[in-house]
Amino acid sequence: MPKTDVVYSPPVLNAAGMLGFAPGTHGPVDLHRLGGFVTNSLSLRPRRPASSAGCLAFAGGFLLHTGYPNPGLIRALRQWAPAWERSPLPVLVSLLLQDVSEVVPMLEALETNPGVSGVEINLPSGAKPSDLLAVTRAAFSELAVVVRLPLDRAERMVQGIVNDLLEAGLAAISLGPPRGALVNPQGRLVHGRLYGPAIYPQNLSVTHALVSTGLPVISAGGVYSQAQVAELLAVGASAVQLDAVLWRNPGLVL
Amino acid sequence: MKLWQGTIREIRLGPSGRSAWIECPPQAQPAAGQYLLGWAFEDEDVPLAAPVFPAAFADGGFLAAAPIPKTWEPGTALILQGPLGRGFDLPVSSSRLVMAALGDTVERLTVLLPQVLAGGCAVAICAGCALPVLPPDVEIYPLDSLAEVLPWADFVVLDVPLSAFDRLKALLASPLPPGQVLVETAMPCGGLSECGACAVQGCRGPKLACRDGPVFSLSELAVFAG
Repeated sequence: MPKTDVVYSPPVLNAAGMLGFAPGTHGPVDLHRLGGFVTNSLSLRPRRPASSAGCLAFAGGFLLHTGYPNPGLIRALRQWAPAWERSPLPVLVSLLLQDVSEVVPMLEALETNPGVSGVEINLPSGAKPSDLLAVTRAAFSELAVVVRLPLDRAERMVQGIVNDLLEAGLAAISLGPPRGALVNPQGRLVHGRLYGPAIYPQNLSVTHALVSTGLPVISAGGVYSQAQVAELLAVGASAVQLDAVLWRNPGLVL
Repeated sequence: MKLWQGTIREIRLGPSGRSAWIECPPQAQPAAGQYLLGWAFEDEDVPLAAPVFPAAFADGGFLAAAPIPKTWEPGTALILQGPLGRGFDLPVSSSRLVMAALGDTVERLTVLLPQVLAGGCAVAICAGCALPVLPPDVEIYPLDSLAEVLPWADFVVLDVPLSAFDRLKALLASPLPPGQVLVETAMPCGGLSECGACAVQGCRGPKLACRDGPVFSLSELAVFAG
């Protein structure tokens, strides 16, 4: 049976992409102040950095375009599964689907790993609500299944299928960065993920809306203070993920 | 990665913009070409820490090369992550060094001058940006002269924005001597997560400037191959 009643204590995790592929490998973040660790996103096949990878600032945040570089799930398991098993925290492996059919072989590769307590699934770009439901049903396993939805699409994606998702064993919806675009100094339009304090109001609004549907929600986006963590928990978030604040001051886990 | 506390002691306005004398423990001082990520406690709304490179060294701290964040003032308390990355490693045998900067500052290169001039090395700088006051021994050339100056050198150090690699290739008409390049690019995670935003094309696959650089040997990067 899938784990649907996952509780993170404290109810604070890192967001995918913020602390690398395994806990404990990078410096000053006090892992004991987190209730769980989310890995960088792993795809079934290796991915190289985007040819125009970069980071562009805007008022209140920044845009990140990276291409989600990673060595692929199988090589990642060889390299990091021992670290996941040694982790003092529950480990959620973040999965990046190119196609919904990839979820089954990826979960089969992970299920037997004692260090993995759950997965956070990122749907392919352009995914529809029917894809969200199909992935959740296909992800039926012993692992806790969290599906990550971009902030700007989360409410639309779950509309009308909340009960179906819960019946299918979904442990939680987590919120991913919204997407946007900026013109870089060379005059090129760059699309990417948006981070920064400017994202927080959208996060709070979407968290409140999703919690109201009955879904367990792991909130994320623009959280830079303990007060904001408390606000999100107060509106009903099950847990809160920290993203770029961990890069700004990794020693000050909130 | 380690965390340190630092304090801005002085702000200077130079040809490349604002630089800052940062007081910090000796273990926090980056070597030439390395960097720290710095964030001021007061900057609650700033989304990311800023990379700071050394432009000069002194007891008790270092001069952070321009540009520095606009909100940093004398007395500003900083959290400093690092030192991060790989810095310059010049061969002791070098006697004719060319420095070339394609960006807005030469300060990340001229930090090497005390060491190389003390070793008796002759130095020529090629730059298109405004220059600070330099020792009289240093010869200065416009950036467009780089291809003519390079044959004189036995080692070259470059400071190049990642976005200027195409322009660099156009300037490098002659075979290159051995050398190193500091790749200027955004490094938002400082190596903490291998996010990939600072990816540079290496001869044997992608490299991350935050962790594998920002100083690379010329032989490591695809832009200098062939």
